[in-house]
Amino acid sequence: MKITGLLLAIVGWLIPVLGLSLTSSNAARLTLCLIGIAVCLVGILGVLNRAFLQNAIWKQ
Amino acid sequence: MRLRKRLTRCLPAASILLVLCGIPAWPQNQTPPATPSQAATPPAAAAAPSLTAPLALKDANPPSSDDLAKGDPGGTLTGTVNDVAVSDAKKGLTLGDAVNQIGQNKVAINFVWTLVAGFLVMFMQAGFAIVETGLCRAKNASHTMMMNFMVYGFGLFAYWVCGFAFQMGGVGATANLGGTAPLSSEYTVNFLGKTWGLFGTHGFFLTQGGTYDVAVMVLFLFQMVFMDTATTIVTGAAAERWKYVAFAISTFFLGAITYPFFANWAWGGGWLSQLGANFGLGHGYCDFAGSGVVHAVGGLTGLAVAMLVGPRLGKYNRNGSPNAIPGHDMVLVLTGCFILAFGWFGFNPGSTLGASGNGALRIGSIAVNTMLAGCTGSFGALLYMWIRYGKPDASMSGNGLLAGLVAITAPSGFVNTVGAAIIGLVAGVLVCLSVEFFDRVAKVDDPVGAISVHGANGLWGVISVGLFADGKSNYGGSWNGVPGSVTGLFYGDPGQLIAQLVGVATLLGFVFAASFVFNWVVDVLVGQRVSPETELEGLDVPEMGALGYPEFVLKVHREQAPITGIGAAVEATT
Repeated sequence: MKITGLLLAIVGWLIPVLGLSLTSSNAARLTLCLIGIAVCLVGILGVLNRAFLQNAIWKQ
Repeated sequence: MRLRKRLTRCLPAASILLVLCGIPAWPQNQTPPATPSQAATPPAAAAAPSLTAPLALKDANPPSSDDLAKGDPGGTLTGTVNDVAVSDAKKGLTLGDAVNQIGQNKVAINFVWTLVAGFLVMFMQAGFAIVETGLCRAKNASHTMMMNFMVYGFGLFAYWVCGFAFQMGGVGATANLGGTAPLSSEYTVNFLGKTWGLFGTHGFFLTQGGTYDVAVMVLFLFQMVFMDTATTIVTGAAAERWKYVAFAISTFFLGAITYPFFANWAWGGGWLSQLGANFGLGHGYCDFAGSGVVHAVGGLTGLAVAMLVGPRLGKYNRNGSPNAIPGHDMVLVLTGCFILAFGWFGFNPGSTLGASGNGALRIGSIAVNTMLAGCTGSFGALLYMWIRYGKPDASMSGNGLLAGLVAITAPSGFVNTVGAAIIGLVAGVLVCLSVEFFDRVAKVDDPVGAISVHGANGLWGVISVGLFADGKSNYGGSWNGVPGSVTGLFYGDPGQLIAQLVGVATLLGFVFAASFVFNWVVDVLVGQRVSPETELEGLDVPEMGALGYPEFVLKVHREQAPITGIGAAVEATT
């Protein structure tokens, strides 16, 4: 889970970066940026953090 | 050859100086060359004054030695033509000497401005230290202060060894500082048909690559205190349970690798700054003073460390509901906020790297923007807390001030006062929402709100450049190699917003990931978190060997955590 979250964060970064050469349309680039940021946030807060919460110290 | 170019550049200014002094730079009856056909004829060049010819000093009316001997209470005799450095005493003052002095004066002004601004930023360490300590419990005061104290040393050392070289080693000449030319080597790769700058390779130990240079030293000092600001943010997010040795290793890595790499991409001529030149995205990633480079880097690293170390004991109940753990000294907190707000006048206006030339007079606008955003930030947070909880919360008002300052850091050089006020107001509300989110939903324990103040609002500041930049700034005619002024979406350039969003994705995907992986390794090797016994005891004695407040010594269980080090020595003498 932790590695999946981390990989999602990195993939989310690469989406807008690689998208720069796929299109020169501002709308398309903007969309790719927003998708990338969303993937990053899901990876960090949705997956990685959830993995930590499963074994949180206050549950023990 | 270099001197000749320099003199040629300064010739127009020198002509103005001479006219003001009553010495005609051109013959009165001569028409300056204006057309190509005229320019091809030699008379104008032949009439140009010689740079090596002695000047008639009597026209400058220098004060006599008798006048000077009487003193100068009015300040009208001090600083005259007599103070211009002369290269050849036999020949006396020449036009070349005069224009060289003009150039050196400009650089001297910029050196002093940048250094003083750097000193102000350095003093922000004191602000961070007491804000964080005040928001922590008294039993951890010494530990929290010591993290904030030594972050300066650990970070500085790492940055001197390699951090500065990675960040600025390929930035090239910095016009306002009159040099830094030795910082000329950037490691690049060709990817997607473009050249991507990744890191600099000159400046290790401030000697390698010819970087023993006065302008490089000024740049180093200014950039170093920025890096140190990023590293000190992390200590707040992980306070009250972070093992000191893990903190030391983590800080070294942040100062040597993570921060310098992202800072190179944004400020050192790296690929983010070239998004405009390479992909037509506005002026590339623009971050005037570091909402992203400094604050988001610190805040996201803090998030990574806070996740790894986990919440403090007692922060969450078994059902996951949070408990408030109030800090021990609100006076320290709000005093620290004021120190930080004061230091921010070095942070933002200082980022022009000068007060003379290349649009640097915009420092007035930048300072006012900084002031306004801090004001509206505290106003937004105060209003939010008052409306939602019925009281104007003191610590959140302080965090609102800092949030506004963090958010305006990137756009401060590109927006007008209305934009600054809006950016600050949004930041003030955002910090409250973000604190509630991390506290209640994400359940990431952040004792001082560093992730929300610096992480969330750092990202907001980066985005706000792409929205509010008004296209009126002009720092030497271009920014990041793209002619014209930085202009955001609301003023007609959607490309700038996209460049900023690429920066946000990079902060989340690279900075967070790199920080997390490294600190994960540290966790495996030495452990990030202190033992539960140490945490309950308070970190002061077990980790530092002495209490922050010795009057509380009776509360310590000596059997479980004996006093060691200097604390033991003090005990022995009393």
